[in-house]
Amino acid sequence: MAHGIDAAAAGGPPPPDVPDAGVLGAVQRGVNAINDLMAVLSSLAIGLAGVILTWEVVGRYFLAIPSDWQDELSAMLLIGATFASAAWTQARRGHVAIDALGQILPPGANRIRRRLADLCAGVFCAYFALKSGQLLMEAWEEGQTTPSAWGSPLWIPYLCMTVGMGLLAVQQALQFLNGPRRA
Amino acid sequence: MSTLEIGLLYGGATIAALFSGIPIAFALGAVAVVFMMAFMPAASVDTIAQNVYEELASITLLTIPLFILKGAAIGKSRAGKDLYDALHTWLHRIPGGLGVAVVIACGLFAAMAGSSPATCSAIGSSGIPEMRRRGYSPGFAAGLVAAGGTLGILLPPSIVLILYAVRAEQSLGRLFLAGIGPGLLLVLLFAGYAVVHWRTEHRRAVAAGVDNEILRQEHFTLKEKFAALPRVLPFLVLLTGVMFALYSGIATPSETAGLGAVLALLLIALVYGAWTLADLKPIFAGTLGESGMLLMIIGMSLLYSYVMSYLHISQGAAAWIVSLHLSKWLLLTAILLMVVVLGFFLPPVSIILMTAPIILPPLRDAGFDLVWFGIVMVVVMEMGLIHPPVGLNIFVLNRIAPDIGLGAIIWGTLPFVVLIGVAVVILSVVPGIAMWLPDLVYGK
Repeated sequence: MAHGIDAAAAGGPPPPDVPDAGVLGAVQRGVNAINDLMAVLSSLAIGLAGVILTWEVVGRYFLAIPSDWQDELSAMLLIGATFASAAWTQARRGHVAIDALGQILPPGANRIRRRLADLCAGVFCAYFALKSGQLLMEAWEEGQTTPSAWGSPLWIPYLCMTVGMGLLAVQQALQFLNGPRRA
Repeated sequence: MSTLEIGLLYGGATIAALFSGIPIAFALGAVAVVFMMAFMPAASVDTIAQNVYEELASITLLTIPLFILKGAAIGKSRAGKDLYDALHTWLHRIPGGLGVAVVIACGLFAAMAGSSPATCSAIGSSGIPEMRRRGYSPGFAAGLVAAGGTLGILLPPSIVLILYAVRAEQSLGRLFLAGIGPGLLLVLLFAGYAVVHWRTEHRRAVAAGVDNEILRQEHFTLKEKFAALPRVLPFLVLLTGVMFALYSGIATPSETAGLGAVLALLLIALVYGAWTLADLKPIFAGTLGESGMLLMIIGMSLLYSYVMSYLHISQGAAAWIVSLHLSKWLLLTAILLMVVVLGFFLPPVSIILMTAPIILPPLRDAGFDLVWFGIVMVVVMEMGLIHPPVGLNIFVLNRIAPDIGLGAIIWGTLPFVVLIGVAVVILSVVPGIAMWLPDLVYGK
């Protein structure tokens, strides 16, 4: 069972239930390329957020520069990184689940359970992506901004959420269609 | 439908979704969305992404990826081994000093890295082979590291405490300080047990009259002792410096997280020469996997709690608990037992996010200090990391020392589960162990 606040880091090669042959394998290779790009961008975003917050301390404490945008930009970068890298994490089964029934059920029933779980998670993520997309369109058309003094455009985080959850739904669909690996 | 019926349905659907094997984040999100569709105005589902974004855009919550980055940077370096080696050279004269060094190294590493598995992995990979070489029983060696690793969720910058601070609307600064006293208490209990256990094994070896590694005396020269310090001191300076920045008012919690991450990356570059892409890749991969998984659970848990609150489930459940008129300590015992049971299946992050709206109002009404309760709750959740059948640290150790065997590791952790229980009782009888430091710094 995957369990714990800081449960297994999701790094490392994808497990064998990611499709690697045929049409699904070809699609997965395309998705992997996008996932890897998103992982690089997300890593840069996290690193940049760290640098911005460090600069905030140095700027305010040593140079008396007021801090008005750093927290908000950092929040956007970190939320963007979370959603953008969600499919990369899913490809490695890094989103933790309770697998207690897997110890009890016979292998055939367990495979069906895992497939249904992938289907439900995929449907939810696709729906979330759809709703994020609708908010993205609204935020873009109405020029919505955050209520802070800096007033950053809201379409940026909604874009990250739409793309991230959409990619996550595709990744889950690929894992559903491929079926779980045999125990 | 009545609130009670909706609440029971919500609870049942949550259990079914979680045990179906759907990842925790998506299970909670899916249950919330289904209940929004069924019981809330039609337009409410249109704003689910907005709800999640607004809840996640808390700058306190967003310290989490940066503290994880700091922990990953230190955890993937050799800092853990160097720390343990240095403590070993300084503490070898104490009876059972090797075990004591392991416990203190776990505490210090946990405070630097803020991660239980990272602590187990970093200290266990060098500490367990050394303890076994010196005649300690494998199960005890593994149990000691597993227990020491649990300090990662109690000592600052504990991610679990960050979440609790947000959910319970308590000061993060007070919570971090309140974790230090109980952390030291646990270090004392674990180290005391290590000494007692060593004495027992030592006595047996003497009685057996055969040659045993546990009987061998070790000696380190003063030169060797001081030679072990240079690699460790920078990290101890980082540990204290970052906390000084936070409590002296130089940096906010989010800035402290950013500063800590940047300084940790700089330190491993300077001390270990870890600055190439090949060095940084596993650090960022580990950070992405862990923080992405966690923030997704947090975002969806907040959506889940929002629905629970909108439908008056949490308020109804809290009012029901209050109406039972349990005595103060019976209420606390019942809630902590529930946390223990939940710890069998759920990670601490989910336990806090899902139960806080229900259990905190009755506890507040009963007169408990919620900072103190947060610390006690986290100590109880530490048990979940090492108690069978699903403790995360047990599996981490099984991976780094597979020849010990899962059974021996589990038996090795059991005395420490009892010691954590003892710590909970002590904290309940003497709450000042947790509260004296925050009261000293912030006032009552």
